[in-house]
Amino acid sequence: MAEVILRNVCKLFGKVPVVRDFSLNIADGEFLVLVGPSGCGKSTTLRLVAGLESLSSGEIYIGDRLVNDIHPRDRDIAMVFQNYALYPQMTVYDNMAFSLKMRKVPKREIDQAIRRTSELLRIDQLLDRKPGQLSGGQRQRVALGRSIIRNPHVFLFDEPLSNLDAKLRIAMRAELLELHQRLMTTAIYVTHDQLEAMTMGDRIVVMNEGVIQQVDHPETVYDHPVNLFVAGFIGSPSMNFLDCRILQNGDSLCAATDGLRLKIPAGKQARVQSYVGRDAVLGIRPEHIGLASDPARCDCLAGFTAVVRVVESAGSEKIVHARVEDHSLVARLDPHTRLKTGETVEFAVRMETVHIFDKVTGQTLM
Amino acid sequence: MSTPGSTIAAGKRAAAVVKTALFLTTILIWAFPVIWVIMTSFKARTDIFTLPPKIFFSPTVEHYVEAFLRSSDITRGIGNSLLVAGLTTLLTLLIAVPAGYAFARVTFRFRNQMSFFALISQMAPPIGLIIPYFFILSRTNMLNTYTGLIAIHMSLTVPFSIWLMITYFQDLPTSLEESAAIDGASPFTTFFRVVLPTVWGGVGVTAIFAFIESWNEFLYAVVLTGSRTKTVPVAIFSFLTTEESLWGPFTATGVSIMAPVILVALFAQRQMIKGMTLGATKG
Ligand SMILES: Nc1ncnc2c1ncn2[C@@H]1O[C@H](COP(=O)(O)OP(=O)(O)OP(=O)(O)O)[C@@H](O)[C@H]1O
Ligand SMILES: [Mg+2]
Repeated sequence: MAEVILRNVCKLFGKVPVVRDFSLNIADGEFLVLVGPSGCGKSTTLRLVAGLESLSSGEIYIGDRLVNDIHPRDRDIAMVFQNYALYPQMTVYDNMAFSLKMRKVPKREIDQAIRRTSELLRIDQLLDRKPGQLSGGQRQRVALGRSIIRNPHVFLFDEPLSNLDAKLRIAMRAELLELHQRLMTTAIYVTHDQLEAMTMGDRIVVMNEGVIQQVDHPETVYDHPVNLFVAGFIGSPSMNFLDCRILQNGDSLCAATDGLRLKIPAGKQARVQSYVGRDAVLGIRPEHIGLASDPARCDCLAGFTAVVRVVESAGSEKIVHARVEDHSLVARLDPHTRLKTGETVEFAVRMETVHIFDKVTGQTLM
Repeated sequence: MSTPGSTIAAGKRAAAVVKTALFLTTILIWAFPVIWVIMTSFKARTDIFTLPPKIFFSPTVEHYVEAFLRSSDITRGIGNSLLVAGLTTLLTLLIAVPAGYAFARVTFRFRNQMSFFALISQMAPPIGLIIPYFFILSRTNMLNTYTGLIAIHMSLTVPFSIWLMITYFQDLPTSLEESAAIDGASPFTTFFRVVLPTVWGGVGVTAIFAFIESWNEFLYAVVLTGSRTKTVPVAIFSFLTTEESLWGPFTATGVSIMAPVILVALFAQRQMIKGMTLGATKG
């Protein structure tokens, strides 16, 4: 059990900065998810904590120990790799025993630990097999077993579920969380899948180009993204972005673009007052666009007319792509909504949930 | 009546027939000399040069008996070949396996230049090197010694073997070694317990290539060995003298030299396809 602290961590490959000024405190027992697009430096950050890469500058603490110069084997961590990295010529038993053997744990204790762990992960029937004779999900479990067997202080996961098929991934997601609740070991989990991040993390760290964008609880990140990047990265289908201009309209403000004129709620006007007459970006989540005729949406503040282009039925919801002048918008509607391609429909936006971003800096205004 | 479906099926069948025919022709062109040698080696002395060649004849092993029992040259040559090729292979592996690992995993100065040099040294025509090799060996009194020939054979096998091993090591995901490091294994333990067992197949294939190269090698052997150390590809020429050409024993010996190579190649093919990283990474 240990907290992990990264302080001003930087990593350069040659001259290229890959992780920049990364500072973060990870609480003991926390399940922290690092998420971001491919190549943003998530794996590198994780590997820095593991000690598989050396820091260019900054400090990493595990527990209360500065680990900058400590070998991976002595950091008391365990890592699950994307490709599992099981030793192909060893049986499942030997794979799990390896780290304990290296630490000169007595044979009997090793045997007990393996029995216990393999039962916990339901791989006790597979102990004599080689990794090549296992299914993806089973390999995944063996990789997990190999890492939990020696009770490390920190678990590091690098996209451990990305090689599994969709169904299995969801099942393993739950299983991993259950395991975490049982062991309460600090975990750092890397994924590029924002849904995985949202569902698994106590807190999530959104990264882009080696820089932390936002660290918070999943709902907070979803409801209050700090900038355009986070707003666009988290959520699927992703947030609608429209270039707009803030206009004064009597004593109220509105965000205007061709074919759309959306009134900004009175309570939020102060935040964009200084942007009057300037360009901004309007952000609307698909689920915040509804049909104007839908009585449940009557608290909407702004309406517009759009032409339906594509309707995707996903069973539990209907994703509708519509067009207003030159803008295309995606709306997430009730699955029983009946809409036809080409139809002109009145939509309504719940303005209190709409975001406005600075067009230049991308910072969230409201 | 022909429906479109049956036309397509017929087309497919025709394509298959053409493919098979091409395949068989290619195989036959390659195999013809081999088949000729094998057939000749079993023909009675009087059958060998009949025209047109006899395809059906009563086989005899007289040439094998003559090659192996009447003269000690061939048996000694085979013994020498086994010794030279065996030791060449062993020493080659001792160098190429660690070297290949280093090239695949460690970054050091001039790494790329060095591995490229290993490759071009392979491209030099052996005939161009034979004079310097002869001089070196004669100055060091190593002409007609096993050591001399093995050293020269290694200059042929080592560069290629290193390259082969590099590819096997590069196929291994580095996460395997990283995982071992986190598990607490030293670099040596990692190499011997995790990495090496995973590339045994590659080591096997490399060994086979090195062995065959040395086993088949003729040019250096004929110049650098003498009666004591000559290998079987050289020894075989004792059947072709100015006085007479003993094609029967000659081909019988030829078959005996080829047989292990062909068998080993068949075995190696399976090894190469199987690959040894089986299950190390994603399915
Ligand atoms: N050993 C290395 N040498 C040079 N550049 C590297 C090295 N490892 C990673 N990089 C670069 O660093 C950047 C970040 O890599 P990293 O693997 O951390 O990305 P990631 O966020 O894990 O992406 P992904 O989701 O694709 O795994 C990439 O641009 C990558 O090309
Ligand atoms: Mg990665």
